[in-house]
Amino acid sequence: MKHVEVLIIGAGPAGLSAADVLLEAGAEVALIDRSDRPGGQLTKQTHMFFGSQEHYASKRGIEILHVLYDKIKDHPRLHMFSETTVAGLYPDRVVACVSGQRYFTIQADIIIVATGASEKSLPFENNDLPGVYAAGAVQTLMNVYGVKPGDKVLMVGSGNIGLIVAYQLMQAGVKVPVLVEAAKTISGYHVHASKIRRLGVDIRMRTSIKRALGTDHVEGAQIWQLDARWQGIAGTEETIEVDTICLAVGLSPLTELLQQLGAEVIYINELGGHVPRLNEKFETTVEGVYACGDVAGIEEASSAMIAGKIAGLEAALKQGYALEDAQARQAALHTSLKTLRSGPHGEKIRKGHARLGART
Amino acid sequence: MMTQANVVIIGGGISGASIAYHLAEAGVKDIVVLEKHYMTYGATGRCGAGVRQQWGTRMNCLLAKKSVAFFEKAQEILAYDGDIEFKQEGYLIVASDEAEAKTFAAHVALQNSLGIPARVCTKEEARAIVPHLNTDAIHSATFCPTDGHLNPFTMTDAFFKAAKRLGVHYYDHTAVTDIRRQNGQIEGVMTQHGFIKTNTVVNAAGGWAKDIGAMVGLDIPVYSRNHEILVTEPVEKMQGPMVISFSKNIYCQQTPHGAFIMGRGDKDAPKGLDMGSSWQFLEAMAKTVSDLLPPVGELRVIRQWGGLYNMSPDHQPIISASRDVPGFYIACGFSGHGFMLAPMTGLLIREMILGQTPSMPLEALSLERFEGQEIEELETSVV
Repeated sequence: MKHVEVLIIGAGPAGLSAADVLLEAGAEVALIDRSDRPGGQLTKQTHMFFGSQEHYASKRGIEILHVLYDKIKDHPRLHMFSETTVAGLYPDRVVACVSGQRYFTIQADIIIVATGASEKSLPFENNDLPGVYAAGAVQTLMNVYGVKPGDKVLMVGSGNIGLIVAYQLMQAGVKVPVLVEAAKTISGYHVHASKIRRLGVDIRMRTSIKRALGTDHVEGAQIWQLDARWQGIAGTEETIEVDTICLAVGLSPLTELLQQLGAEVIYINELGGHVPRLNEKFETTVEGVYACGDVAGIEEASSAMIAGKIAGLEAALKQGYALEDAQARQAALHTSLKTLRSGPHGEKIRKGHARLGART
Repeated sequence: MMTQANVVIIGGGISGASIAYHLAEAGVKDIVVLEKHYMTYGATGRCGAGVRQQWGTRMNCLLAKKSVAFFEKAQEILAYDGDIEFKQEGYLIVASDEAEAKTFAAHVALQNSLGIPARVCTKEEARAIVPHLNTDAIHSATFCPTDGHLNPFTMTDAFFKAAKRLGVHYYDHTAVTDIRRQNGQIEGVMTQHGFIKTNTVVNAAGGWAKDIGAMVGLDIPVYSRNHEILVTEPVEKMQGPMVISFSKNIYCQQTPHGAFIMGRGDKDAPKGLDMGSSWQFLEAMAKTVSDLLPPVGELRVIRQWGGLYNMSPDHQPIISASRDVPGFYIACGFSGHGFMLAPMTGLLIREMILGQTPSMPLEALSLERFEGQEIEELETSVV
C-alpha cells in the first residue's frame, strides 16, 4: 500500500490552501479530487470576490484558483490525484480510492478532509423532471463547460448563489423572469439583488414552487404564496412559463466520509446540517484527521481558504515540522477568520459556531 | 414514562418487538419496551435479513421452520399497513468441495425429516436457479425454495405497530442503567429517565446482552463480534435467492428494491462492541463476490457498515428463563440469526412467562445447558 505523510481529500479552496502550507513546511502531500480539474467551486466562480486585499477581493474565483494551484502544481512533494473518488475512509487512516476502473488504497499519517458540500433539493411535485437543476449545476454547465441550460429559468432562492447565478444566466442570454424566495427578506447581498432587479427580474418574497409542469421535460412551473407558517396558500397559484427550474436552496456539508470513519458529527442547522466536532486546531474527534472548508460548515470560499491554512499549519506542526512563526501565523489566521465572520452576514455562521461550541 | 409494568423488555430490535407483540397478544397488560438508541439501531437494522430453514441442528431447523410459517402470514397476522417485503425465493447454499457437499447432504436429510423442502443440486441445477453463478467455483449446492429474506425495518415496525395497538409502551433513547433486586427477587429497572417497578424483565439486548445479564449477577456465556456488510447500487432484478457459502464466507441477496446486500465474517475480528467499517472487508468482499457471482462484482458499492453477532458457545440461541434470578428471561446468543428466528423467540418467551405448554422442548435453548458441559451439538452453518 502506498504511504504518504499527509493526504488531503478535496482540491477546492480549503484543500489547496492546506496543501500550500504543508508543502511549504516540508511535508509530502497527496491531494485527491474527483473532478478532472482542481479548484472545487472556484472553477465556476466567474464573479469577483468582496472583502479586503488579503481575501483576494475583486479577483474572480477562477483567478484565485490559478493563484492557488499554480503555486503548488509543480512541487516535487505534491502527488496530485485527479478524477479520483475517495470511496472510503477508515480508522487506520487508510483511504480507498476509485479512479475509472482502478481501485487502490493509500495510508497517511495525517488526513485533511476538505470535501466541501452538496446542493440541497426541495420536495415538490415533479421535482425529478429533466430541466430541474440545482443552481451550482447550472453554474458548472455554463461557466465550466459553456453549455446553456435552457432559455427561460425560474430561480428558487435568494441566497448569494441564487442571485449570482440568476445574473450569470442573464449574461449568457437566458431569460430569468421570476425569482421566488420563501422567506420575507433577501438572504444574499442586497447589491446582487438590486442588480438583477434592475435587469427586470421579478423577485417574489414569501413565495415558493408548488409543482413543475410538463411530461418529458419542464414546460412551466406553478408557484404559490406562503403563509406565516411556511405553508402554501391555496388560491394563490400562478403558472410561470419556463423550460428550466433552478434550485438555489442551500448546501449540505459532505460529512459521509467523516461519519464512516467514526468522527463525531453534530447537527447544526445554521452550518448547513451535520458538521464534525472540531477542536481549536480543526482536528476531528479522530486523532490525526482534520476538517476544513464547507464540510465543517457552509461558508464562503474566502473563509475556506483561511480554514485550509489553519488546518494545514496544525497538520504540519503535528507531523513535527518546526515552523518559526507558527504561533503568530495561527493568531493572524484566526483573527482573519473572525473578521470574515463579523457583520450582519456572518451572524448565521457565528450563531452556528456558538451552538456547535456549546454542544462540545 | 410508566413507573410500573408487568413486564419490561430490554432491547428495541426484532426480538424485543416480537416478544412484546406475543405477550400483548396473549392479553398481558402494561408491557414496556426500552431501547437505548432507536428501534432497529442494533443488529436488526444492520443485518442481511435472510430467513433460512437449512440448518445443521434439529433445534435451529425447527425454530426456523416455524418462524418462516409466521413470516408467510405476518402481513395479515400483524395487520400491517406497510410492506414487510418477504421475498420468498429460496436460499442457495453452495458447497466448495466434496467434504462440504457431504456435510450438506446430511443436513438436507435432517431438514427433510423435519418437513423442510430442501434439496441437493448439481452445479447445473444451481446455475438454472442463479444464472450468473460461477459454477467453476463450486462443487454443488443445496436449495430450499421457501427460504427468503425480508425488510428488517418494516418487519420490526410491523411487530411494534401491532404491539402498540395492543397497548405496549415503547420508549427509545432510554438506556437501562441498573436492574434492582431484593432478596433475589427483581424489584424494577432503573433507566436514564427514571425507575420502572416490575418483577419480570426480558433481556433482548442483542450485542449488549452480556452487560444486561451482569446487572443481575449473571455471567451469560456470550460475546459480541463485529460483522461487516455492504450494499450496492440498485439494478434490474437478476437474482431470486440468497446465495450463501460458509467455506467462501459470503452471503448475498438482491432486495426487491434492486440493491444487492452482502456480508461476510472475520474470525480474527476482535471481540467487543466495535461496529466500524474496514477496507479489508471491502476488498475481501469484492474479491469473494466477483469470484462466485461475477456480474455482481461489477456493481458500485453505495455504503458499508458493521453490526454485532452475539455468539453463544454452540452457535444456537439462548431462549431461557434464569434458574438463579426468578423473573429474569433471556433471548440472546443468536450467533447472527436472531432476525430470522424472532417469531419463535417471541412465542417461546411468552410461553415461559405465562407458564404455558412450550411449543418446543426448551432444554436445548436453556442458559443452563452450558454448565460443566462439553458442547454436544455445534451449529456449523454460520457465515
